[in-house]
Parts: sequence; C-alpha cells; structure tokens
Amino acid sequence: MTTLLAQLNSDLGELADEVRRSLVQVSAGRSGSGSGVVFAADGLVVTNAHVVSGNRGRHPGTGLRVTLPNGVVAVAGLLAKDDDLDVAILQVERIEGKLPELHPIKMGDSRELRAGQWVMAMGHPWGVAGAAVAGIVIGAGPDLPEAPGAAKDWIAVDLALRPGHSGGPLVDHRGRLIGMSTMMAGLEVGMAVPVHVIGEFVARVLAGEAGAEKYDTAVV
Amino acid sequence: MSTVLSDLSDALADAVASAADGLVRVEGRDRLPATGIVWDAEGLIVTAHHVLERDENINVGFQDGETVAAELLGRDPATDLALLRTPKRGANVPTWAEPESLKVGHLALALGRPGANVRATMGIISALGKAWRTSAGGPVDRYLQTDTVMYPGFSGGPLVDAQGRFVGLNSSALVRGVSITVPALTLNRVVRDLQEHGSVRRAYLGVGAQPTRLPDELAKELGQETGLLLVSVEQGSAAEEGGLFLGDTLVTLGDAPVRHMDDLFNNLDGERIGKPLTVRILRGGQLVDLTVSPVSHP
Repeated sequence: MTTLLAQLNSDLGELADEVRRSLVQVSAGRSGSGSGVVFAADGLVVTNAHVVSGNRGRHPGTGLRVTLPNGVVAVAGLLAKDDDLDVAILQVERIEGKLPELHPIKMGDSRELRAGQWVMAMGHPWGVAGAAVAGIVIGAGPDLPEAPGAAKDWIAVDLALRPGHSGGPLVDHRGRLIGMSTMMAGLEVGMAVPVHVIGEFVARVLAGEAGAEKYDTAVV
Repeated sequence: MSTVLSDLSDALADAVASAADGLVRVEGRDRLPATGIVWDAEGLIVTAHHVLERDENINVGFQDGETVAAELLGRDPATDLALLRTPKRGANVPTWAEPESLKVGHLALALGRPGANVRATMGIISALGKAWRTSAGGPVDRYLQTDTVMYPGFSGGPLVDAQGRFVGLNSSALVRGVSITVPALTLNRVVRDLQEHGSVRRAYLGVGAQPTRLPDELAKELGQETGLLLVSVEQGSAAEEGGLFLGDTLVTLGDAPVRHMDDLFNNLDGERIGKPLTVRILRGGQLVDLTVSPVSHP
C-alpha cells in the first residue's frame, strides 16, 4: 500500500521534472505574462493568443520575451495568432547566432481523451514558476457546459487554473501534450484548447495558409 | 518510471466508462439539462427534485443515444429526490457498492450527463457520518460528503467508487457549498414511497415545538433531561383534536422518549398516519396521557 503511493509520488515528481523542461514563461512587456510550451526544437513556442494580445498597439507581439527553464531570457517573434482559437505561435530568436537549448514537449493525442483519465497542468500561477496541478479529464469535445463558443472543441479538467497558467501545457500520464491551459470555468474547472486544434493551426501557419505574414518579427 | 500513474489513469477512465450505462440526461428545465440514474430495467429513473423545474414535458437521454419522454411519478423535496418513468426497457442497471466498503479517504468520482456524453470529476470521500436530516426535514440514512466538484448539470448523477460501482446520488442543493451524496438506502426508501404513493408520506401532528429542560425530579425519574415544549398548536389539527394545548411539554410519543426535534421527526413516519398514538405530556406539573391520530403531511 505505502509502496504504491511512494511509487506514485516518485513517478509524479519525475513527470513534473520532465514537463518542466519544456515549460517557458512568456512576457509581453507591460501587458502581463503567461506560460508557454516548446513545441518544436527549431524554436517554436505556443501560448495563448490572450497572453500576447494585451499589447494592442500597432505592432501586436512586439516586446515578447520567453524565459526558458534554465533562466535564459530569449527574445521571441510572434509568428501567428488566432484570437478565436486563443492560440499564438512564437519563434524564439537566436542569441549570438545560435538557438538556445530547447526541449520540445512530447506530443499526445487529444482526439481520444477519456472522461476520468489523469492530467496535469504546469505553468506559473500567480507568478509561481513551474508549478503543477493535477486532476482528471471531466470531458472533451464541443458540448461542454459553460464552454465559451459552443461549437468549439475544449477539454474540461477538474483542476484549478489560475492567472499565469494561461498558455501552459496540459499533459497526460506520460507527459504528452494534450492541451493548452486557457481559462477557468468556475473556480475549480479548467478549460484547455486541445492539442489537435493547436497542431492544425501550427501546420496551417507553417504551410503559409494562415497568419504568418500579418505580424512583424519583434525587433527589440 | 513505473506504470503506476498509467494504471491509475486507465483505471479511473475505465471506472467512468463502466458506469456510463447507468446514467441518463434529464431534460426538465429551460437551462442546462441535468443527470439521472437508471433505477431498474423497467424504465424507472431517479434524479434530483430541484433539476425538474416542470412536471410535464420531461425527456430522458440514454447512453445509447435514445431520448424518450418521461412521466414524473413523484417528488420528495425534503430529500431532493424525484422519480421518473420512461418506456425504455432493458437499460443496464448499475452495480451498487456495499455501503460498508466506503471509507474516508477513498477515491470517488462524481459523474454527470448534461450533454450526450458522460462527464467526470474526481475527489475523495471527505466525511462519513450517521443519519441526518436536511434543512427541509428529510431524513437521510447516512451523511456522505466528498470533495468532488459538482460540474454544471451533475445534480441527480451518481457518486461512484474506484471500481465504477454506484454509491449514491449527488445533489448540490441539499447543503450549500458542499458536495453531498444521498446514499442508496435512502434512495431505496424514497423510490418505494414515490412509486406507491407519488410522494413520501410523513405523519403530521400540527404542532410547533422546541426542546426544553424537564424539572430535575422528573428528569431523574424518567431518565430524560429534556422534552419538547409546544409553542404552537394548529387549529383543527390532529394535535388540537387530541387535546394538546399550547404550553404542554411533550415527553413521550408512543413508547419512545421525545428529547429533541429529531425524536419527533423519527417517530412520525408514514406508518403512523391515521393510527391512534399515545402521547405523554407534562401539563401543570402533572404527567398526562392523551391520544392523537396523526394525519398525512400536507
């Protein structure tokens, strides 16, 4: 009995350490900050559109900085964002000609989620760096009570998301990305954008079909 | 890394999946639908009273996607339960957990079906206690509190254990801000009453009362420190017809001592209706025996 819980604790710690390697903090100048996750080794970081949108001037996305798990602060450009999906794609800039060390997160599948399965969200709630909360999937899909935008896919999770979690990874029991923490629906229910929605948006942007040309690359 | 976390995750999702057959969507109000539990293979559904804001035009949606019209057989607002009859036959009846198997600290899942699919939240059993009474006076056989989140539309749905066995019916309306589960024993009792009478029958005297200390000597003699002082006697009520007056102190009802309000409630179940009942009162320092015939609770 106690062995089981000890093993569970040890696995949980290991999993949190692993996910934290791909977790970044996204700062959008004076307009606030949130979390993000390293999506690809070439410097793609995804976060919520609302994390980078506070800066509503002529150049949305300017002044973006990404703090990596090792403390390195890198400048990032806004590659694309979609306010309806609430997803933004950032490109981490090179530092002295080379990309900082990045650990992309393992990809999961959000199309086959089961109500009841275990999940963990990581982020920087209230500015606490690299914090973890765990719960289960309440449900996934378009017909969730209190989900904003009735026709959209969401993942509802029974864990407490707080300001600063936005844009951070929601992972399954193997540390695979299944969603992006996006908002709360009540105090104890979190809503996440499913990773398949993020993946499709990233693919469209990289194929030149959406968003990429609309923004200046940040030059600070 | 071991497989403990994967096993846990799979087991939780399996528990939800295995319970899914046993819960239905209940459409009985204008806003979000709520949840109900398949009671038997003959189409009976038990749900929460407060989620049925109308008596007619109620629909029930099953796991297989079928939605059928339901007839309201009865409600018990005091325990926040209601019983529906549907034409559905052969729905899978859930497996119920043995009440003794529950312990504080056990994992538990609250399930609901506000839409097409089953939704789940997780927590642990926070408190198990003895029988209690809701603020509306409804007797509940066991206090069962969890720290599960009552997601919108979860009222009327089941609490299930880690094996997906049903433990009781969740209601967010019985105690504010706390997730309370009405245990199977209470469901059995209330469902039986609703099926037979359309309501939960409770006997009624027509008195208002409050606990009061008995004189020392009498308390010692009876082995009972308190009785119930009658602070109102309804006109034309069973109590008035039996000769009870304002200011009398109720000491026993039948053979049972009446020390607290609960003793009074517990002795006025449906079986008492219309049957003569001896009550002993303290009036002017003397014990007096009277006979009352309780009526059905209006």
